[in-house]
Amino acid sequence: MKIPDQSTLYEGIADRPRLRGNACSACGRVYFPPLAIGCEKCGASETHLRPESLAASGTVYSLAQVHLHRGKTPAPFTIAEIQLDAGPLIRATLAPAAAHVRIGDRVSAEWAVVRTEDNGDELVEPVFTASSTAAVTTNGAHS
Amino acid sequence: MRTPLAQLRPVHVVGVGLHPYQRPSGTPYTQLGVHSVRAALTDAGLRWSDVESAYTGTAVTSMALSRLMYRHLGASGIPMVQVENASASGSSAFRQACMEVAAGLCDVAIAVGVDKPLNVTDPQRAAGLQNLVGDRVAPPTHFALLAARYMHDYGATPEQLAAVAVKNSRNGALNPNAQRREPRTIEEVLAPPQISGTLTQLQCCPIGEGAAAVIVASDDAIARLGLDRTRAVRVLSSAARSETVYDLENFDAALTRETTEQALAEAGVEATDLDVVELHDAFTVEELLYVEAMGLCKPGRAATALEDGEFEIGGRVAVSPSGGLLSMGHPIGPTGVGQVAEVTAQLRGEAGERQHAGARVGLTHMVGLGAVCVVHVLRKD
Repeated sequence: MKIPDQSTLYEGIADRPRLRGNACSACGRVYFPPLAIGCEKCGASETHLRPESLAASGTVYSLAQVHLHRGKTPAPFTIAEIQLDAGPLIRATLAPAAAHVRIGDRVSAEWAVVRTEDNGDELVEPVFTASSTAAVTTNGAHS
Repeated sequence: MRTPLAQLRPVHVVGVGLHPYQRPSGTPYTQLGVHSVRAALTDAGLRWSDVESAYTGTAVTSMALSRLMYRHLGASGIPMVQVENASASGSSAFRQACMEVAAGLCDVAIAVGVDKPLNVTDPQRAAGLQNLVGDRVAPPTHFALLAARYMHDYGATPEQLAAVAVKNSRNGALNPNAQRREPRTIEEVLAPPQISGTLTQLQCCPIGEGAAAVIVASDDAIARLGLDRTRAVRVLSSAARSETVYDLENFDAALTRETTEQALAEAGVEATDLDVVELHDAFTVEELLYVEAMGLCKPGRAATALEDGEFEIGGRVAVSPSGGLLSMGHPIGPTGVGQVAEVTAQLRGEAGERQHAGARVGLTHMVGLGAVCVVHVLRKD
């Protein structure tokens, strides 16, 4: 069974991940990660912040391959800034197979296993890879 | 009615002092701080008992650290407070000291930056914020992302970014208070270890400790205490802002642009009037982004201007003559105060081998996690 590693951030039921964002009903700004307490843009209170399910697809704004890292994720891995089609600029991890992705490319999320529990349950998170509709380039790993 | 600093009582830097920035050691912060305060008092020709108020810029050492340090100078009972504003802590402490003198609440105030990396904390964690990348985006990756986008937008190369560290290492080599004192070639800067994206170790500022102190005084104090007016440097403006919603524009650059514009306008100075600039070059790409955001060159032109020597000591405007955060170091609390010390030395014509000839107007700039930005403009009359 697949269980979302951070269920507050994404929905765990579909084949393709969807992100749990929210939107301000006062000014229309869309947030991911979801914003609590009040709207950063207009200051409206939390009663104006409504949950909004966001497609995990967008365009790569920037990329960085992390070569040296002290945390639990083993380096190297690649972090992308992605402008979601829904608006927010987010940071996410690229799938290892997405090494050919460049700034400006279309990407969307798929599930990656973070950890497998003793009972066989898989904790999963969304990682991004080239959208299946996008042309796949073959000029090797990026540096 | 709102009144900018320039229209309040004039405030002058009258003394500066430093403890060299260095790798974290067993030396207690109290010793680092007192060393810098004594140096600043000697430089100003003042006694500790002349100082009426103290602001301590500090972020990663301990709560309540001021009095344990200042008592070693003789407990005079003056007000003292810690100012925490991430990387801009020292700049913010300096701003508080300037405002207190300008408002007429006291005649002599001191800003001391002191830190040792003993208690580095995480506001995102405190706020209970979650995101998709967890701990995978450390500061070098934040700036590696900026670097990649900058190179994409303007066609700059990794070598052009690395050139920032080459220049600042040359300046740092001339600074006895710098943590990195070796001049580096482009090959050395580009050599492994690679940290994140195109950023190598020498394109990231070192982790360190240190202290810096700056004493500010009113005209009254200069006259009453018989200070050397010819060495006083006027603080023309103090601007501080925080991040708003910028969408795709990089927030560090946007915040730098807004805050610098305000500081220059309040000082009545144009960007082209600046002779020396100390800016937040914690990572090489930042210097290119910020000289553009400050209006020192056109967008996308920073790498070329750097290659042409425009930002060298002796160039059009000396950028980070101290060696900047990359070479002088970034011990956090001290950094912003140390920038004021460097600009003061430059405007006095006392910067020795690092002297930018004819320096008259200078600017200091720090951004801090949050994000916040603090800019000061200083002038030697």
